[in-house]
Amino acid sequence: MKIVAVTACPTGIAHTYMAAARLEKVAKTMGHEIKVETQGAMGIENKLTESDIRQAQFAIFAVDIEVEGKERFHGVKVIQVPLQDALKSPEAIFAKIQR
Amino acid sequence: MTQKLEASLQFVFECPLPNGMHARPASHLAEAANRFASEYTLTNLRNGLVANPKSVLGIIAADIRLHDRCSVDIIGDDQQAALKALHQFVTEKLPSCDVPLAGIASPGRNANLPRPLQAVDVPCVFGTSVSRGVGQGKVVILRKMPLPDDLTAEPQTDSRRELTRIEGAISAVRQQLNDKLKYSLTPTGTAVLQADLAIAGDVFLIQKLKEEILGGKSAAQAIVRTGKFFIDLFAHSENEYIRQRSADIEEICLQLLHEVDPALLNRTAVTLHEPSVVVAETLAPQQFLELDRRWLKALVLEHSGATSHAAILARSLGIPTLTDVRNGHLILSEGREVVVDANRGFVVPLSSEPVKRFYERELKTLQKRKASRAEDTRARTTTADGIPVELAANVSTGEEIGVAFENGAEGIGLFRTEMIFLGRDDAPSEEEQFAIYSEAIRAAEGRPVIVRTFDIGGDKPARYLNQPAEENPFLGNRGVRLYTAHQKLLHTQLRAMLRSSAQGPLQIIAPMISSLAEVKHFKNAIAEVAQQLQQDGIPHAPNIKVGIMVEVPAVAFMIEELCQEVDFFSIGTNDLIQYFVAADRSNREVATLYTGSHPAFLRFLKHICDQIHRAGKWVGICGDMAAERRYLPLLIALGLDELSVPAIEIRELKREIARLARPECTKLLEQALRCREAAEVDGLLASHRSEQPESLLSEDLVLLDSTSQSKEEVMQEMVDALYVTHRTHDRQLFEEALWAREAVYSTGLGYGFATPHCKTDAINSDSICVLRLNGPIHWGSVDGEGVRMVVLLALRSSENGANHMQVFSTLARKLMNEDFRQHLVKSESARQVITYLGEQLGIANNSET
Repeated sequence: MKIVAVTACPTGIAHTYMAAARLEKVAKTMGHEIKVETQGAMGIENKLTESDIRQAQFAIFAVDIEVEGKERFHGVKVIQVPLQDALKSPEAIFAKIQR
Repeated sequence: MTQKLEASLQFVFECPLPNGMHARPASHLAEAANRFASEYTLTNLRNGLVANPKSVLGIIAADIRLHDRCSVDIIGDDQQAALKALHQFVTEKLPSCDVPLAGIASPGRNANLPRPLQAVDVPCVFGTSVSRGVGQGKVVILRKMPLPDDLTAEPQTDSRRELTRIEGAISAVRQQLNDKLKYSLTPTGTAVLQADLAIAGDVFLIQKLKEEILGGKSAAQAIVRTGKFFIDLFAHSENEYIRQRSADIEEICLQLLHEVDPALLNRTAVTLHEPSVVVAETLAPQQFLELDRRWLKALVLEHSGATSHAAILARSLGIPTLTDVRNGHLILSEGREVVVDANRGFVVPLSSEPVKRFYERELKTLQKRKASRAEDTRARTTTADGIPVELAANVSTGEEIGVAFENGAEGIGLFRTEMIFLGRDDAPSEEEQFAIYSEAIRAAEGRPVIVRTFDIGGDKPARYLNQPAEENPFLGNRGVRLYTAHQKLLHTQLRAMLRSSAQGPLQIIAPMISSLAEVKHFKNAIAEVAQQLQQDGIPHAPNIKVGIMVEVPAVAFMIEELCQEVDFFSIGTNDLIQYFVAADRSNREVATLYTGSHPAFLRFLKHICDQIHRAGKWVGICGDMAAERRYLPLLIALGLDELSVPAIEIRELKREIARLARPECTKLLEQALRCREAAEVDGLLASHRSEQPESLLSEDLVLLDSTSQSKEEVMQEMVDALYVTHRTHDRQLFEEALWAREAVYSTGLGYGFATPHCKTDAINSDSICVLRLNGPIHWGSVDGEGVRMVVLLALRSSENGANHMQVFSTLARKLMNEDFRQHLVKSESARQVITYLGEQLGIANNSET
């Protein structure tokens, strides 16, 4: 499955990147293709392009703050979870998508 | 009508006051009772104590508590009316007599405490720190003047005469209180004065005084004995309100004694025997100097502005000091072991284990910070780009001079001599002064010493000058303005100074100059004294340098003319600011106006420095502003020839100056001069940071055997590690930033790891700190497991150097990797951790050693 994701936390120093790393790793072990955009202290990195989003079957927002450029995801199925869920049990997020 | 023997009338009431019958309700009851001629007897039916309800002190002494039943017996011609009125008072008015007294509150339990202490809820009182540091010891309360012990020496000659003296004293004291009442501005002040007035006219007190005299005592003895009687009586009350009345009685008795014989009130010195925390309402400079500094560990002053002389002395001698401490009595009882934390601004009792543990660590931290990077104190102070900045010390006593040079002072920028003149009954002699100035010059070993002639008056009166009280002493007859009237005093001082100048480079500076005429008069006096010395064949330096203080704004617009008369200038910001913004520096109400950050004041300073330099003269700065590190870049940019600060600040400022480069200072000054508000300047200075960012990692920031027992202690330990290495200057702000992030949700990420982090200007440079715990602690982690390994990330919020965010994000990602975590957990040394992190994060391993 092709998945896009956005991570963002209040200070944007640590958890944004930890969650991104975790989602990437678990997606890989579960056989998904994922691209994670981080919205942290360095601004938006690994930005999702229009075609990334168009091709994706799902978008995961693992965020504690508002996602920047939310309108880009119009027409895509979005699952929004607290960022902590991406650290605690990313498997559960993917399981939900597969259902 | 024949007098008939009436039966007394009686009524019984129950005390409705939660705090019992303390001074205020008692004074209302006494007032009601005194309207009638009848005699009363009040009996507390709980304890059988009997009192006269016409006496406030008597009522208080009956120790009437909530729900105590009391009977009142009334006998006399107007007993019917008295009964009616008193009964009405007790049922209708008494219950509402007990609005809480201002100034009485429970001890603070405040968010301003460090977290480990907040967590255990210790009682504390807060104050304003005027001299930083931490001191602990037993509380020694310094009363203004304790009531002398029984006066045995004075014999009574004539009881009628003594009675007259007492009556005279009482009416004089009441008159003074009434006068003060007219000018009382605050409700609390008024309430206190009214209570004092009630005591000074109390029938029980007067009765007791008269009894003593009729028993053969003198007026003074009667006052002392009566005072002790009531103090003892109240000291045993279980009621906090009533116990406090002891102090009021003592105060009134002292005033009475002063009226009877002022000579009896010679101050009795307090002798310290062990590490002590001295608590006083206020402290005169002389009283301060009488305290044995070996045992004086900290000072707590209830009232005293930040620039009072006790505060200046405390700072220069490095005694941790808090002022404006409210409700101090809640913690500061005689003999209690307390810690005065004048870095954070509070006092806590040293009674519980967490407090002891906290301060054991704290003292080690402070010690380590002081010892870290100990420099050669003899080395000249220079900026990062090699520009020398002369850093000198302000002193007030001879003994401070040694401290100043130990700390690396390059000279004495201001020797305030008024301390030699104050708190004594006559002026110091020429020989005494000569000895003091000579000692200073010898201690300076060739470095310049600027000695200021006496600046008496204003807030620093000298008894022997017999100055009349002034309505506005700061704008009155002070400093140089006194010199015409006290020519002899000036000449004696100048003679002592000139004689000392034969031994080294002494310079003379005059305080409070506002006109050219004053300068000319001052210089003439010096010339005259020099000529006399010449005639007497006494050696002195030939062309002594003469300067003036820039304290009165008028000077700023006379600089060209003044430069023709004087060799140098020194800016005294404490007075200059207060005169410039018209805000009394000791008045708390206008404290926000009194700031060196006012853009107008900065422009004013720039004008002064530029004008003086244009004329090719030297200008230093010696006010408190010079010691405030945030102003340093501005002062460097102004090109001041010397910064003169309290000795204790020199090391820290030296280090700070070495971090600053002139071009960045100039840029900051330009920005500050363009600001429109003091708040803008404050913001600008807060966001500024010195160049030369340090490396992210250092072995000092790897703590592998932590014995911390809680999350609070871990945070403290890590914050302290940054503090010791001078990476943060504001631990509280830094720690709060970490906790603010923690409040969103715990940074415990599972696997036994936690990553507290924050973005704050409380740190000087971006830093990573690693801590490994000996035992797991609770962190509120996502997996509910304890934490063994803590990786702290601290990022500056205003960035103008290298951006380390890239490194931080890489580190955050790596922490999700089991291998990476195991490496950290299994590292054997700090060096190993640093090397591994350096490789993994792709940063040059240039950690300091």
